[in-house]
Parts: sequence; structure tokens; C-alpha cells
Amino acid sequence: MIQLNNIEKYYANKGIKNYVLRLVTTTIKKGEFVSIMGPSGAGKSTLLNIIGMLEEPTYGTYEFLGEDVTSLNERKRIERYRNHIGFVFQAYHLIDEMTVYENIEAPLLYKKVGSAERASRIADLLDRFNIVAKKDLFPNQLSGGQQQLVGIARALAAQPSIILADEPTGNLQSAQAEEIMTLFKKLNQEDGITIIQVTHSEKNAQYGNRILHIADGVVKEDITVA
Amino acid sequence: MFRLNLKIALRNLWKNKGFTLINVGGLAIGMACCLMLLLYVNYEWSYDKQYKNADKVYFAALNLKFNGKLATTMAVPNKLAKAGVSELPGIKSAARISMNNGQKLYSHNRNSFKLIGFNVDPDFLKILEQKFIYGDPGTALSEPNNVLISESTAKKLFGNQNPIGQSIKYDNRVSLKVSAVIQDLPKNQSMQFDVLQPWAFFEQENPSEKNYGWGAITCLTLFQLKDNASLDATNVALKHFIVNKEPDLKEMTYEPFLFPLSKFHLYDDFDNGKSVGGKIDQLRLFVFLAICVLFIACINYMNLSTAKSEKRAREVGVRKALGSTRNTIMGQFIIESLLLSFLAMLIAFTLLEVSLPYFNNLLDISIKINYNAYQFWSVLLAIVLVTGLLAGSYPAFYLSSFIPVKVLKGFKGSTGSLSIRKTLVVVQFSLSICMIISAIVIYSQIQHLKNKPLGFDQTALAQVDLEGEWTKPQKLQTFKNELERAGAIIAATEYASSFTDGGSITSDIQWPEKPKNDVSIINYRSTGFDFAKTTGVKILSGRDFDPKFSADTSTSLLLNQTAVKIMGLKNPVGTVIHWGDNPPLKVVGVVQDYSNESLASKIQPTVYYYNVKTSRVLLLKLNPKQSLSNSIEAIKLVSQRLNPAYPIEVKLVSQGMAEKLRSEKLLSVLSNIFGGFAIFISCLGLLGLALYTAEQRSREISIRKVLGANLSDILVLLNKDFMKLVIISNVIAIPVAYILVAKWLEKYDYKITINPWPFLLALLTSVIIAILTVSLQTFKVAKANAVDALKYE
Repeated sequence: MIQLNNIEKYYANKGIKNYVLRLVTTTIKKGEFVSIMGPSGAGKSTLLNIIGMLEEPTYGTYEFLGEDVTSLNERKRIERYRNHIGFVFQAYHLIDEMTVYENIEAPLLYKKVGSAERASRIADLLDRFNIVAKKDLFPNQLSGGQQQLVGIARALAAQPSIILADEPTGNLQSAQAEEIMTLFKKLNQEDGITIIQVTHSEKNAQYGNRILHIADGVVKEDITVA
Repeated sequence: MFRLNLKIALRNLWKNKGFTLINVGGLAIGMACCLMLLLYVNYEWSYDKQYKNADKVYFAALNLKFNGKLATTMAVPNKLAKAGVSELPGIKSAARISMNNGQKLYSHNRNSFKLIGFNVDPDFLKILEQKFIYGDPGTALSEPNNVLISESTAKKLFGNQNPIGQSIKYDNRVSLKVSAVIQDLPKNQSMQFDVLQPWAFFEQENPSEKNYGWGAITCLTLFQLKDNASLDATNVALKHFIVNKEPDLKEMTYEPFLFPLSKFHLYDDFDNGKSVGGKIDQLRLFVFLAICVLFIACINYMNLSTAKSEKRAREVGVRKALGSTRNTIMGQFIIESLLLSFLAMLIAFTLLEVSLPYFNNLLDISIKINYNAYQFWSVLLAIVLVTGLLAGSYPAFYLSSFIPVKVLKGFKGSTGSLSIRKTLVVVQFSLSICMIISAIVIYSQIQHLKNKPLGFDQTALAQVDLEGEWTKPQKLQTFKNELERAGAIIAATEYASSFTDGGSITSDIQWPEKPKNDVSIINYRSTGFDFAKTTGVKILSGRDFDPKFSADTSTSLLLNQTAVKIMGLKNPVGTVIHWGDNPPLKVVGVVQDYSNESLASKIQPTVYYYNVKTSRVLLLKLNPKQSLSNSIEAIKLVSQRLNPAYPIEVKLVSQGMAEKLRSEKLLSVLSNIFGGFAIFISCLGLLGLALYTAEQRSREISIRKVLGANLSDILVLLNKDFMKLVIISNVIAIPVAYILVAKWLEKYDYKITINPWPFLLALLTSVIIAILTVSLQTFKVAKANAVDALKYE
């Protein structure tokens, strides 16, 4: 599904190249649950951003679903966001001015899904995540865990084939974190959604089936979890 | 999608109430100002355009050599109309309009009123179609004694009776028959009259009129061109029309041309025989002002919305990651600004309706909003759209350009946009400062004209028309005596015409050593005894007219200083002067120059001669020992007894003088009001920027506070940047304003010298206002608890 070849990312500063990623080559197959781990500043988030097409690599090629997407124009990139990728953020990034319902609806509107279909999908998601009662509340009226649930529901609304999560539990207490991770595992196993997450926590990484250890921009280890 | 966007826009506006208030308030005031100015411009613009064939109607204008310069007048020989129609192929019809401008007495039974009456050729009603209530244009002016009256005149004279066929007495002597009634004239028409009478009647009253040659310019003439006629061709044919008839006039140029009726009101300035604008310049200025005020308000919106960008940036980033295109996001911001501008328009509209009566009152005009006119609604809609798009475009463009990964990582506002915002503030402030300076200069110029020594004493100086019994010298003398005895006046003198208006001119005066080719034009005014005593004009040498000298009533003259200068007389008193067919005239005195006809331009050379019969006005110096109203009351009582048929109207000369500054006053009022609003709106904009900076730098401020900075240090720190902007604005605005006001002052013969204080005042005002505005906001931030801001990171 995802093929990264010799991805490099550096920032040139006064002629000195500061490498964030060096020669990263890896393949992620459909249905995998990958955790990217490593110390602060190792380049985890940059790698995830490149996979999510939020950033472009300085060098190397990136194939997504068999197509070269290393540098896409905005229109084509947006098309991928709408149909294939769901983002989950550490800080949830819900839109404050929208209710829970509207937040989940937003990607469907962008995807131009018909209104009946929209209603049924949202109802389904609200039901599945037990947040039906909260659908008319605004994000700031929810707890962090609930907000992240909404964030995941929103990511799932467009029925993406892959979810990219940047420290999805970084701002949550451990009980809530556990709940989110269980949910991810379930999504991966039952719905076959590919998940790539960045995490600091060894424990969270265990929910997946593969761990990429990164340090100083280089993939040090690539472990398959039993 | 659209509905959701609208909903979010509304929620956004509601959530940031203060921000919305500043924004909507600024926009609403800007729009109200803009609308008001546009309404005023439209009102002036619509002058004389209500007639169906207005574009085919022209005044005959005439270029004349006037003291070495080519002057343009609308007065033409009375022969021109008839000759024009019969000899020029392009002209369809013509009508003369008499210039007996004063009001005349019209009465029916015991209802007597002084009304404005024009004497016109019957074709006048064909050229300018009137709305007839009774009668028809074909017969309304067919008999010399016919009279056409306006609706309100009919009401005044006849109440609710049908006026047709009723008789009206003209000047208490001649009986007229009402032949037609027309609807009242709109206020935005140059020619205002209550009564129309046939030209034939005018000739009856003034038998000499028929005998005037081509040299006498005594009436106005309207021409209507044929539908397919070329204006240029007709003008070419007209150019030598008069000179061909009377070659002697070539010396004085005498070149007529056609001037559109529709331009008569706005293009009233002529220089060297060519139209050079006039009121239209003022209108252009107002349109510019309207656009500026609206633009300033729009800048405000841009500033405030981009200032809030940090808040919105995250939203934009998330939306983009969710698959929103840039266009959708721009759409969202545009909807928001359109919504805001619509709200602002509602408020502006209310403001407008509420303030319109005051505005009308202030400027003595009658602007009404015509709700049935599609133009009005389309202008309204256009303003909403333009404002919404203009104000929303920059924020939309700027905010939608955020790159998601950057804003999601934690966005700190880019410095690039700040500099654009700073530029906007500089533009705003420069415009405002220009307005302040102009307002001050206009105000001081008006004060200068007002306070300039007039050369005569306008306090307690009044004038009344000489009519009815007063045209008999004996009766007039009795009247004056009685007034003096009643203690109402201390002196009185006859005068040629209304003291504050212009009068007759001649080029026919000969003085010793006058060059052959000199065609200097000199004003002449008739007057009575006691001229200097009544008006307070100084006699510089010689003496005033005096009953003791019998020659004074026939062959004595007074000159003013300018006349002495033009004639180059070393010892004016005693000089003998020839004037037309009169016996030689002797100068007995020189009066000091005084400005009564125009405050702004130079005084014309004038001669005065004694003649009670040709004088139309009696000047009265009211008794300064009692109140004006007592004196006027006494005058009325005496007049009622001695001249019962004519209701007397006592006009104060000082009021007439104040009238002369009307257009300056208008400019002053408008520039003050709208300049004031522009500054107010600009301050809102500055507040917005201060809001942004304070938010932006809250962390820096907190760190500085922790390091030991006190409140004043921080206020200075935050104000410094804004002061820079204000100073830059001043640097830009001051030279621009200097050029503008210098150009404006050019048209005045008497003007203030531009000194630095209006500029200093504007500088100071802008700086103080800016400090106050900025401090208001930054004070809050500076006082805030440092920990809150630091904890956030």
C-alpha cells in the first residue's frame, strides 16, 4: 500500500544541512497496524507527515496505492485526503465552531456524500462510539478522551483505507488511552483499516503488529509483534 | 455546505461579540457615511435632469471681453432667440426668460404674496414640459395677461377654489387671469419660480426692451436642438452670429455658444470662455471622500479578521487535512464577511434614516430616499457586495493559504501578513490625517473670510424693496422720516439693487487719459443721500452726496478705490468723467473698497450716482439702541399704514453675507463630519491591530514581567511600534494634504497663508488618539498575570 524509497528530509540552514530523515526505505502493506517509535526529535512526526502528504520529502520517492505521490498538486492531494486518508491528531483539532455532529459530517460534505447517506453514516459512528447523546455539544464541552473519540469518528467518516495518528493518546489519561488503543486495534482487526501511529509509549506500540524504531532520522529497527 | 458555512459564520460572529461589534460598527458607520455622501451627490447630480428632453435643451451662453479677460455669461441679447430659430437649421425652438429676478407682489383679494415670477416665451412650456394640473401648454401663455402658477401658489392665493379664470393682481396695478396651474417644481432644479408670465407682458411693462440692440444683454435664452441636429455645427454657426449682425461688437468678442441645461447647475465656473467645472469639483471630492471612508472601514475589517488569524489558522489546517479545497475555505470567509457587511448595512440604513432629517436641515436641502427606485436598491446591494468582497478578500486569501502541517504544529502568525496589515493601517491613518488637515484649513479659511474686514458695517444693516407707494419720492421721504421718528432707524439710503447681490455694469465710461482700446468694465450703482452714514463705508477723500449741493442729484459721482486705481487718477476729487450721453460728471468723493457681493474675490471698480428712481432697495441702519426685532416690528407697522398693499419684508444684510459662504460651509460641515468618522473608524482599526499584537506578544510580555519590567516599560514597548506607524502616516499625509489644500485655496483672492499649525495639530491629534487607543488594549495585557501566558506553552 505504501512504498517509501530512500526518503530524505533536511532543512538547509546557512549551507549546513540539518537532516531530519535519512534514506528511509520501507513498505507498509494493507491491513498493517504500524507504530513509529523513537526519542524526541528523531523524525517520527515528519515521517508520518510525509506519509500523510502534509509534507514533501526533499529526496526519494513515495508510492501510495501503487501511484507515485512524491509531489502532487493540491487538487490531487485533497482528493487523497477525501477518499483514502483519515487523520487523528494529538491535540484532537476538532473545529470549535462545529458541534460533534457537524465535525463528523465535515469530511462527508467535502466528499460530496448525499444527505441520506451522510445521516446514516454519522448515526452509525455516533452509535458505535457511544456518543449519540453528545452529538449537539461543542468540542469544548467534552473531555479529552471524548474529543479524541470524535476525532477518530471524524477520521473514519469518509471510510478511509488508512488512518494516520500522531500521538493519539499523548494528551490523555491512561484509562482513556487504553480505550482509544483498543478501539484502534478493533478497527484494524475487524474493519481491516491500515493504521500508522506515532507514539512514545512502548505499551501502546504493543497494540499494533509492527514497530518502526527511528533515531536520528534513520530506521534502526523494524520489529514484527506477534 | 452553504448552510453549514452560514451557520458557522453566525456562530463565529456570536462567539467573538466584541470583535463583531467593532467590525460591524466600523463597517456600518463607514457605509452610512458613504451612502449619505452618495445620496447628496446624487441629489446634486440629478439637478435639471428630470425633463424628458433635457439632453436637447441648452442655454445660450455668451463670451465677452471683460476687463481684458474673456468672461462668460448666460445673459444674451433678447433678439437672439427669434433670430436663432429662423436662421439656424439645427434649432427647433427657443424661449427667452426675463431677468427681473426680484420677487414681485401678486395678490388676490386680500391675499398678497411676494412671489418669484419669470416672463417667458410660450415655447418655454414646450421645451421644458411642466406637469399641468389645470390648463395646457398650448394656451397657458398665449395672452399677455395670462398667468401660470404653481400648485402651492394656487393654494396660497385661492385656498381650495379652482383657480382657473380667477384674477390675480400684479404689483397692485395690473389684473392677470390664471390660465394654468402646474405641480410644484422639484427642489433640485436650477430655475425656481412660483409664477410664469408671457414675455409679451414683460415687454408691456418695459417698453424699452423691444428697442434694445444686439449689444444689450438682457435675458436668458433656452434653445432646443432638433433631434438629429449636431451641437458642434450649431455652435460653429452661432460663434459669429451676433458679430455678423453688429460688427461694432467685435471689439468686445460677443461670441455665443450653447451650454447644456443639464450642466448648468454643476459646471458653473468659466475661465477664459471655457467651462472649467464648478460645483462638480466638489461633488467629485465627495465621491472620493465616500470611497475613502468605505475603504477605511474595509481596511478595518481586513485588519481585524487577519489579526484573529491565529485563532482561525488551526481550523483552516484541520479542514484542509479533512479534504477541503482552498476555494471552500475562501468561500467560508467570504460568506462571513458578506454576512457581516449585510448586518452592517442594516445598521447603516437605520443610521441613515435617522440622521437624514438632521442632515437635510444642516445643509438646507431635501434629500429623500426613493424606495421605489431600483437604482437605490441596486446601489445598496452593490455596496454590500463590494464591501463584503473587498473586506473579505484579503482575509480569505490570506487565511486559506495556511499550510496545514505548519498550523497544526503550532502557528505563530507570519510576519509577512503583519507588514501588510501595518501598511493598511498606514493607509488608513494617512487618509484620516489628510482629512483632519483639510478640515482645519477649510475651517480657518471660512473664518478668515468671515472675519475679514468688510469695509462696511453689517451689524443692524437691513434692506427693504422699494415698491408700491415707495416708488413715489414724496411718500418715500415720509416713510424715512416716520421711521426715524419712531426710533426704528438712524439712517437710510436708496440703493440700486439688493445690497448683497450683483448689479449693473458698463464699459461706456470715459475718463481723462483713458487709452483708446481700453474696454474696462465698471460697475455702477445708484444711491441716495446718506450712503456712507447708512452703510458705514468710509469716505477716503471728498464727501458723500449731500442735499446741500444741488449738483449732487444730477452730475456728481462717487468712485471706489479700485475704480480710482483702474482710471489711474492722482487727484480723483474734482475729475470730470463722461458716461454715455449724460452731461459731464464730476467726482465728489472716493469711498473705501468694501466687499458686499463676494467675500472670496476681488472688489470690482464701481461708480455711484445719485438716483432715487432707479433704486430698487432701501438700505436701513437700524437703531442700535434697541433690539433688532423691535426695530423691525416698528418698520412693519409704519409700512402697513403707508403702503398697505405691499407686505414689507425686512432682510438683514448680515444674513445675506452669511449665505455667500454656503458652499464653503457645506464643505466644512461634510469634511468635519466625515473626517471625524474616518478617524473614528481608523481608531477601531488600530484597536484591532493592538489587540492582535498584544495577543501575539503575550508570552514575551510575561517573560519581561517576570524579569522585572514594570507596567510603564511594557506600555512604552507596545506603543513604540504603533507610534512608528502613526509617524509614517503623518510623513505621507502632510505633504499630500499640503498640496491638496494649497490647490483648494487657489480659487480665493483672499486666503489664509498656510502655516504649520493645522499640520502640527493633526500630528498631535493622531498621535494622542493612537496612544489612547493602543494603551486601552495593551494595558489589559500588561496587567495580566504572567503565569497564565507562560503556562499555556
